[in-house]
Amino acid sequence: MNVIEVEGLRKEFKSYSSRSGLKGAFRDLFTRNYKTLRAVDDISLHVKQGEMVGYIGENGAGKSTTIKMLTGILTPTAGNVTVNGMNPHKEREKFVRTIGVVFGQRSQLWWDIAVQESFRLLKKVYKVSDEEYETHMKEVIRTLEIEPLLDKPVRKLSLGQRMRCELAAALIHNPPLLFLDEPTIGLDVLVKMKIRGFLKEINRKYKTTILLTTHDLADIEALCDRVVLLDEGKIIYDGRLDELQKNWVEGKQVHFEFQHPVDKPALEEISREYPVIWRQGERVNQWVATIDGEDDTVSKLMSVVMLHHAISDVKLNKVSTEEIIRNIYEEGIKHG
Amino acid sequence: MYYFSIFFQYAAQYLKTRMSYREDLVVELISDLLFQAVNLIFILVVFGHTTLLNGWNREEIIFIYGFFLVPYAIFSSFFNIWDFNERYIVKGEMDRILTRPIHSLFQIIIERMELESMFGVVTGLVIMFYAGSQLGLTLHWYDPFVFLLMVIGGAFIYAGIFICLAAISFWSDSKTDIMPMMYNIGNYGRYPVDIYNQVIRFVLTWILPFAFVGVYPAAFFLGRTEWYGYAFLTPVMGVVFLTIAYFMWNAGVKKYRGAGN
Ligand SMILES: Nc1ncnc2c1ncn2[C@@H]1O[C@H](COP(=O)(O)OP(=O)(O)OP(=O)(O)O)[C@@H](O)[C@H]1O
Ligand SMILES: [Mg+2]
Repeated sequence: MNVIEVEGLRKEFKSYSSRSGLKGAFRDLFTRNYKTLRAVDDISLHVKQGEMVGYIGENGAGKSTTIKMLTGILTPTAGNVTVNGMNPHKEREKFVRTIGVVFGQRSQLWWDIAVQESFRLLKKVYKVSDEEYETHMKEVIRTLEIEPLLDKPVRKLSLGQRMRCELAAALIHNPPLLFLDEPTIGLDVLVKMKIRGFLKEINRKYKTTILLTTHDLADIEALCDRVVLLDEGKIIYDGRLDELQKNWVEGKQVHFEFQHPVDKPALEEISREYPVIWRQGERVNQWVATIDGEDDTVSKLMSVVMLHHAISDVKLNKVSTEEIIRNIYEEGIKHG
Repeated sequence: MYYFSIFFQYAAQYLKTRMSYREDLVVELISDLLFQAVNLIFILVVFGHTTLLNGWNREEIIFIYGFFLVPYAIFSSFFNIWDFNERYIVKGEMDRILTRPIHSLFQIIIERMELESMFGVVTGLVIMFYAGSQLGLTLHWYDPFVFLLMVIGGAFIYAGIFICLAAISFWSDSKTDIMPMMYNIGNYGRYPVDIYNQVIRFVLTWILPFAFVGVYPAAFFLGRTEWYGYAFLTPVMGVVFLTIAYFMWNAGVKKYRGAGN
């Protein structure tokens, strides 16, 4: 059975623009100009119990909007959503008992009261019995190492400490389905690893289904077999992460640092015989070539480039997942 | 039953938090009492020289004011939604509310309660008893029950109006000054409505029925039989307005757009 079933889901936001001048303001009173933005554009998605799905995409792709519709916060403009067998916004109060939600950008806990008081209130809100709480939460608290934080008010916690408490709070009722919107945003590597370990653990132990968004692909690599890639509200890839890596480029990447300014047309001109994509690097006069081909091609390209332009540094890398995703964002999926 | 227990859990937590900031609490209580005292003095000064205002004498007007304070205190203890737009819509706090298994309006009520405002009830009762004894009013066995009904009706009317105003934010989150304005209009209900002109009287009775929070129900205890019809409409108006507000709120929640990041 599918835990999440989404068919043709769409969300549009209307934004009003005001006309200029007094006359414009007067006309605005009667007819207002508005633009419709399709934040989520007819997506379909099916998630089975126990899956860990990475939901990724650029800023503004529509990830948070999707999660808000799946959790019953926003009403969809069109489409069908069934999550845990229910329609999220129709039976909201009953539905939310069966899910856990964490928004990395926003606190779910009470700001001024001690963490354990927040937990105690949530325990009542979710009608969790003492026995359930004891067995389940003890474990959660231990794994997330938040025992020493429990008597502190949330406002006195660091971001990483707070986020671990947020996660624990979302799990008080041990929900079978967990939505995490950027749970690792702004955290250091150690805390990230702790959180990843913890998510793996609850997924293994309770078969908890997890849908998470992140901008850190290491999260996805560590946790998710499946990724869903969203671009301007549309799903452009839904499948295994390793397939994505395989289908895209098994090529190499060469970072050239030139001694003088060089422009893209010039580079494309000299390398037109090779299957190469040029991109401006992070540093001045740095250009990155992604080549889809044999080692031989790579060395030929390097010599051609060096023949035409003086360089100060050159580096040869394998294409990272990060880079693959970036390429997909920039050019759309065509190899896959 | 569940809602009762959750309410008490939140109230207990609220008191516990307030107690732990003892100095703040003391300062606030003192300033609250001062505020009430200033209010009372103001009334005595303003009405000190008037002996009759459109057929109402000074003590009657003070009595109405005292009555008004009681439903108003209940309203301000539980319906702190004047900053709903800022706090819940613009900042997106509504997201969190909507992920919890309790009706969203109820959650906001219990999250934002300010129980110390209940002191207004005491002030109101003191004023009423003072004015009542000056007027030589006697207490009947049924008076406390009627009083309770009237107070609840009045608080519901206040709540209904302000919930409707808050719910508007679901459709448009642009800033308006309508909330503070409404607090001002609410104050007109403290005075006998027949001192105003026809239009204002109509508005205060049927559109923004603040008269049902002050004059009309108080008229019952003052034995002003000509107003009894209105007096007994108080609980009805309360239920009607709160129901309208409830449906408007529910419709609004469906329109909630969230805060873009
Ligand atoms: N309440 C809103 N009103 C108007 N537009 C909105 C609103 N919320 C989101 N949007 C728009 O919808 C689009 C998708 O936003 P969304 O927050 O879902 O993106 P996202 O994928 O979560 O991005 P990010 O990675 O930055 O969190 C954006 O263009 C955003 O501006
Ligand atoms: Mg987002």
